[in-house]
Amino acid sequence: MNRRLIWLMGCVAGIFSCWLFPLFHVVTLKTATAEKAAATFNATLFAEMFWTNQLPTALEKTVTAQILLPAIQSDAAAAKKKFSRSLGLGEGYFYFLRGEGKIISVSDDELILTVTENSTNAEISLQTGLIFGNALRDGTGLLSANDYPNSQDFNDISAALNHIVETRVLPELREQAKVGAKISFVGCAEVGDEATDLKPLKVIPIQTEVQ
Amino acid sequence: MKTNWRKTLLAAVLATVAILFTQNSRAQDAAAKSKIAVVISTLNNPWFVVLGETAKARAIELGYDATIFDSQNDTAKEAAHFENLIAGGYKAVLFNPTDANGSIANVLKAKAAGIPVFCIDREINSTNAATAQMLSDSYSGCVKLGQLFVKSVGKEGEYAELLGIVGDNNTWNRSKGFHSVVDRYPGLKMVAQQSGEFDRAKGLEVMESILQAHPNIKGVFCGNDSMAMGAYQALVTAGKADQVKVFGFDGAHDVVKSIAEGKIVATGMQFPKKMAQQSAEFADEYIKGKRDFAQKIPVPVEIVTKENVSKYGNYGKK
Repeated sequence: MNRRLIWLMGCVAGIFSCWLFPLFHVVTLKTATAEKAAATFNATLFAEMFWTNQLPTALEKTVTAQILLPAIQSDAAAAKKKFSRSLGLGEGYFYFLRGEGKIISVSDDELILTVTENSTNAEISLQTGLIFGNALRDGTGLLSANDYPNSQDFNDISAALNHIVETRVLPELREQAKVGAKISFVGCAEVGDEATDLKPLKVIPIQTEVQ
Repeated sequence: MKTNWRKTLLAAVLATVAILFTQNSRAQDAAAKSKIAVVISTLNNPWFVVLGETAKARAIELGYDATIFDSQNDTAKEAAHFENLIAGGYKAVLFNPTDANGSIANVLKAKAAGIPVFCIDREINSTNAATAQMLSDSYSGCVKLGQLFVKSVGKEGEYAELLGIVGDNNTWNRSKGFHSVVDRYPGLKMVAQQSGEFDRAKGLEVMESILQAHPNIKGVFCGNDSMAMGAYQALVTAGKADQVKVFGFDGAHDVVKSIAEGKIVATGMQFPKKMAQQSAEFADEYIKGKRDFAQKIPVPVEIVTKENVSKYGNYGKK
C-alpha cells in the first residue's frame, strides 16, 4: 500500500514539475514565424526610418560643392583631411556634400553638372543609373558598423538605402533633368581611386530640385 | 663600532644586489610568460596559413612568444584550444573564428579570464565579446566583382555560384554583395548555387556536378580562391575552360598567377598580411595599456584583374 502511495506521489510530483517547467512548448506555425520575423533585423524598415527621421537633420551640415571642389583642386590631400570621412584601414573615403549647379549633359546613368561660375568643366556627376555600394550608408557618417553585431545587417542597410534612392529620388530627377537647367542637390560621393573618382566627383543624390 | 658600521654597510649592499637580482629574474619570468595565441580556423588553405604565420611572425617581432592553433574548421577543437590557452597563461588571442555564432562562447570565456581577443578576417556576431575585429569588407569587394562579372560575362546567360561555409558571415556578405549587382539584370540566371565549403577539392567536386546538369553556363562566381581553383580544374577537365569565366575572392598567390595567365578573370585582394600584422600590433598595444579600440575595423578589398595584376602578388600589393 505504502509502495503504491509512493509511486502515486512520485507521478503527481513529476506531472507538477512538467507543468511548472515544461520540457517543450507547442506554438502555432504563424506565431513562430511572427516571433522569428520580430527577432530578425529589418533593413528595409530601418532604412525607411533613417531616411525619414535621421537623415533630413544632417543635410544642412554638409560641405558645399562651391567650397569642396576648389579645395580638392588646390590640395586633394588637405581637402580629404578636412572634409572627408574614411573607414578602417582603407585609403578610400567619402564626401557628404550639397551644391547648386547647371546641367551640361544628360545620359542614362548620369547628369553632368558645373558648379563653379562661368565654368564649362564637368565638375559633378550625379549618378542616375543603378545604385550600388555603400556610399549612402557610410558617406553621411551617421551609421557605424560598431552598432551591428552581424555585418550582414549593416550591409543590408546599404541595399535598402540604394533602393530608396532608385525608387524615390531618381525617377523624378530623370524626368525633370534637361541640359541648361539649374539644379540643387545633396548627396554622397565615394572616392576609391582619386585618378578617376574626383574629376568629376561622382555623387549619389539624396535630395534634388531642378529649377 | 667601526667594524659594525662596515658590516651593516656590506649587508645593505648585498641586500640591494639581492633585491635587484630577484626583480630582474621576475621581470625575465614575466617576459617569458608574455605569450600570444594565434587561433586559425583552418590551415588546410594557404590563405589562412599566410594569415596565421604573418600574425605569429609580427607577434614574435614585437617580443612575444607566439603559437599557432589550428581549429580545422571545427568549433569543438576551437573550444579546446581556448581552454588550453586560458590555462596556459596567454596574454592575448589573435583569432580567426570558425563560426560567426558558434565562436562567441569561446571569445567570452577568454574575456572572462581577462584575455583580449582580436578577430581577424572572420567576424563573430557580437559587439561585446572581442576587443576588436578586423574584417575584410567582403560586401563592397563583391559589389565591385559583381559589376565586373556583368561587364565580362554580359547581361544575359546562365551562371553558377559556389558558396563558402554556410555558418560564416563572409560567405553571405560576399554572396549578397555579388547579388546586389547581378540580380538587377534579369537576363542573368543563376542555375546553381551550392556550397564548396571554401575548399579546393570540394569546389572541384561541386563544379563537376554543376557542369553535368548545366553545360551552358557562362560564368561561375566563387566565394573564395580555393574554390575558384577547384572550379577551374573541373572546367579544364570538362573542356570548358574557355567557355566559363571564373571569379574568385581572397587574393591567393595561385589565383593571382592564374589571372596573369588569363585562366581566371578576377579576384578580390583581401590583404591577409596587413590584417594579421595589425592584429598583433593591437594585442601589443592592449598589453601595454591601451583599451579604446574600435569594435569593427573594415579592411577594403581591391579587385585584381589581368589589367592590374602586375601590381599584386604575395598576398598583397607589390
